[in-house]
Amino acid sequence: MTAPEEPPAASLDRDDLTPERQVALEELLFRLADDEFVHAERLTEWQIFAPTIESDLALANVAQDEFGHARLWYDLLQELGYTEEECIWRRPADDWTHATLVERPFADDGWGDAVARTYLYDVAERLRLEALVDTSYAPLADRVGKALAEEEYHREHAVSWVERLASDGDARERLQAAVEDLFPHALSLWYPGEHEAEIRAAGLRRESLASMREEWIDTVIPTLEGYGLVVPEPDEVDRPEVRGRDGSHTDKWFDLYEAFTATHREVDFDRPARLRGEEA
Amino acid sequence: MIWEVFRQEKPGDYHRHVGNVHAPDREMAKLFAQIQHARRMQTNSLWVVPQSEIGEVDPEDAAFGGRTDKSYRWAMTYNDIDASFAKEVEDSEAEQREAARTRREQLESEGDA
Repeated sequence: MTAPEEPPAASLDRDDLTPERQVALEELLFRLADDEFVHAERLTEWQIFAPTIESDLALANVAQDEFGHARLWYDLLQELGYTEEECIWRRPADDWTHATLVERPFADDGWGDAVARTYLYDVAERLRLEALVDTSYAPLADRVGKALAEEEYHREHAVSWVERLASDGDARERLQAAVEDLFPHALSLWYPGEHEAEIRAAGLRRESLASMREEWIDTVIPTLEGYGLVVPEPDEVDRPEVRGRDGSHTDKWFDLYEAFTATHREVDFDRPARLRGEEA
Repeated sequence: MIWEVFRQEKPGDYHRHVGNVHAPDREMAKLFAQIQHARRMQTNSLWVVPQSEIGEVDPEDAAFGGRTDKSYRWAMTYNDIDASFAKEVEDSEAEQREAARTRREQLESEGDA
């Protein structure tokens, strides 16, 4: 018996979602959206603290783009019936499914950490967006192109910084420390969720997490090693006890969550202000 | 290191100077210039040029044009003629009036100082 064919690109709309497909789609969207939102939230901590005004603006721009992408994916969830409050402001902290990579505070407030993190993240983001170009879910297919176009700059920005920090003795040491610290958490980007099989069967994503992980490793390790950095062996890495994707997180995440939801709780809006999209 | 940034809005336009960025090298200058000088503006192309590569001539080096009285060049003979029949004549007169006006203002402001 051959496996049933996956639905073709952009062939499914909201009305075509079976209950199984819908939970799978929600898992996929929450992972994407949470990664972008939390990554951006951390990056904004660099505002006014980056090494120069130019790098400050460039990183702020990256953060703004990532908030914009979070907007794209949370909007799709809202079309499925969630409110923005349920997606972000009043969602229990241990329901969030971002990878632990993006919730980490910056070690020693270091720029090397920010650079290593954006590099590891942006390579992953390109891979997973490319795997969504031919998604079966039409509303998702419509939005992937915009995010992909912006990711090009992010990756170039990150790799340019890696190259420059790696060429300076002290900076390379700090970058090396950040890579060692972050790499195990970056692997959490690829942990499958509960509904991974259905995500693939429904054609929501065209690549398996395992093969994307493989491709990511084959990209980041040679690149970083090419700049003289040492990258931990993926299969020998001490896995963090928390995985992010299953709702378990490092303690620092809960502090961050308290901080960015505090205003919402204190002010107790009837209707929360909306996280703005680019064209809002 | 400072890089001067020039932005071209549409193909065929001149690249106009829009400011500068600090960057260690050309690649970073190009990345920063995109954000700082093109993110919110219609842009077809950007140039980044090391500030040190720009040759400058300032008023100490040269007596620039536009500071001497050129009214003797005006075509007085045709004063009462409506020049609108020939656009180039009209344009030329407007240009000369403008040059005379800015020169006058400049001399006046130097007089104030």
